[in-house]
Amino acid sequence: MIEIKDLKKVYAGVIVVDVPHLEIRKGESIGLVGNNGAGKTTLFRMMLDLIRPERGEVLSNGDNVAQSEKWKDYTASYLDEGFLIDYLTPEEYFYFIGGLAQQSHVQVDSFLATFSDFFNGEILKRGKYIRDLSKGNQCKVGVAACLLQNPELLMLDEPFANIDPSTQIRLKNMIKDLNKSRGMTTLVSSHDLNHVTDVCDRILLMEKGKIIKDIATNSSTLAELEQYFAVGSTSTTSVTEE
Amino acid sequence: MGILITLLALEVLALAFFMDTFLKMKYPHDSLITALSGILFYYFLIDLLMRFQLQELPTLKVQPYLHLRVKKNTLIRYLSFASLMSFFNVWPFILFTPFLLKVVRVEQGLGIAALFFVSIIALSIFNNYLSLYIKRKSSLNGWVSVAFAVTLGLLMAGDFAWHIISFRTPSIWFFGHLNTMPILVLIPLALAVIMYTVNFYYLKGNLYLEEMGSRKVSYKSSTEYPILDKLGPVGDLIGNELKLIFRNKRSRSALIMTVMFLLYGLLFYTNKVYSDGWKVFCGQFMTGVFIINYGQFMYGWQASHFDGILVSKMRFTDFVRAKFYLFTGISTIAFILTLPYAYFGWHIIAVHFAMYLWNIGIGTTIVLFFANRNNKRIDLSKGAAFNWEGVGATQLLVGFPLMIAPYIVYGPLAWLKHPDIALIILGGIGVFFVLMRPAVIKFLEKDFNQRRYTIAEGFRNK
Repeated sequence: MIEIKDLKKVYAGVIVVDVPHLEIRKGESIGLVGNNGAGKTTLFRMMLDLIRPERGEVLSNGDNVAQSEKWKDYTASYLDEGFLIDYLTPEEYFYFIGGLAQQSHVQVDSFLATFSDFFNGEILKRGKYIRDLSKGNQCKVGVAACLLQNPELLMLDEPFANIDPSTQIRLKNMIKDLNKSRGMTTLVSSHDLNHVTDVCDRILLMEKGKIIKDIATNSSTLAELEQYFAVGSTSTTSVTEE
Repeated sequence: MGILITLLALEVLALAFFMDTFLKMKYPHDSLITALSGILFYYFLIDLLMRFQLQELPTLKVQPYLHLRVKKNTLIRYLSFASLMSFFNVWPFILFTPFLLKVVRVEQGLGIAALFFVSIIALSIFNNYLSLYIKRKSSLNGWVSVAFAVTLGLLMAGDFAWHIISFRTPSIWFFGHLNTMPILVLIPLALAVIMYTVNFYYLKGNLYLEEMGSRKVSYKSSTEYPILDKLGPVGDLIGNELKLIFRNKRSRSALIMTVMFLLYGLLFYTNKVYSDGWKVFCGQFMTGVFIINYGQFMYGWQASHFDGILVSKMRFTDFVRAKFYLFTGISTIAFILTLPYAYFGWHIIAVHFAMYLWNIGIGTTIVLFFANRNNKRIDLSKGAAFNWEGVGATQLLVGFPLMIAPYIVYGPLAWLKHPDIALIILGGIGVFFVLMRPAVIKFLEKDFNQRRYTIAEGFRNK
């Protein structure tokens, strides 16, 4: 579904992303982990054609994302609040996003009805603009707007960071479920190793712009990752040797 | 704001340097100094009103320090002095210094001019803290601002309508006696110090952010514009932009400015001094001020969710088409609202119409061409008055072609005594560009695709 070729981004002489080759197959559920500054968000942004890579290309279903806009029809993403139109009420925003995907208000309403548990009564009909919601609730709006578009590829940047434990568990189940039932490809970055190993069946570990580990999740993955992060980036070599 | 500020600054400068001439015209029987003395208190009354309307409370500036090891008194002093960094406190310098140097210094000496100067500054500072104090009070209790407005209204009515009080008399008395009783300068100084102290202790007792901010919690309902639904995604985008304008402080003030500029004609058409060329200027401004004032910051208004726009399924052509519709709609409303100026002759309406066509044809195109070159973000929550955020070289570059271009056509033809042909040409060019829109949009799209990364990156930088 996604193929990254020789992708490189440099900021002020520092290499932020350097991925020679990466392939993501349809229906895969991928977790992206790495410390702050590892280049996760920059990689996401390049995959979404928000920043121009120094070199290389991202192919989505065979088309370069910087040249074709076809990927927008099946890709939904939420990286940060910059993806939300914050002076709208959540309802207005959902109708707008739904409208872009040719959905009527009725369709949007019936979709949102299935989200009442996830929203936990804090999003709809609260009389607030998105900008007046807490960060966690903004994240809920962003995630719901993504799923509303019925995407084949879902990209979320640290979705677990601001939401409460109940919502974290609901979100995990939702992602797993959509991945299993509809074959939705998911790409989720997180600092929470428990969540990410629970949800994803393939983990990419980034350090200083490079993907230094690409592993299929199994029972020992969590321990392996914990060991890497516990000792920090200095002993990468010893981890990779294992 | 960029162009308007420049325009306003030029007007203030002209007023400052020719104040003696204006005063002579208005008060031919008084001496110049008496004439100035007479208007000063009125100036401060208007100053107070303007400050109350436009000056920002510098409250949130302390937020990052509240939990740190910084003494409360230091914070309050910082807040108090920060509030002086306002355009309103620069104004009296610009406005009165030329007159003081040209007239008062010559007639009564440098010392007295200095006393005038100190008094004016002290009264400005007094106004500064008074308006902030009342604003803070009224953010806790809305009635305070009503009471304040009523008081100011009564004072003005008492002077101008009922003639029971006069600001002119005490104003002349005070400034007239500065020269014989220099000690009087202590009065404004004392007022300034007292107001500063009052403000200081008020802040000290109330340094809680949730109380100081003017945040009012009200139920925000969802709005839909049924007419726009017919336009499909373009209609949705126009709807969103209208909501942007109405729901954010800074864009709202851009719209209010548009409404206020509709009165601009009264300034020029009531006075026979102004030639026909001014009609072009007025027509351009009144029907196009929204395009200039709002358009020059595009797409900075949407900076905070620009990433969302880029990854969404929205097509750029729809995005730009929505902007064209929005500009055209608002300009049309503005043009219709200027129709009553027909009172000053139908020719004015003809000029307005030509400039309206010019604005929706050329003005919109220029503004959107430069929007592709603008990567300065705008913080929507801040007020517009004297807000320089988002103002950069681009805004000045937009300004020149926008403001000057019509005169390149109009000037020579008017000189050759064919101003009406100039109007037909201006209107014709406008219509031509309106008809060319599909091509213009294609061009803008291509141009945008080359620049979108730079724009998006600029918008991400807070």
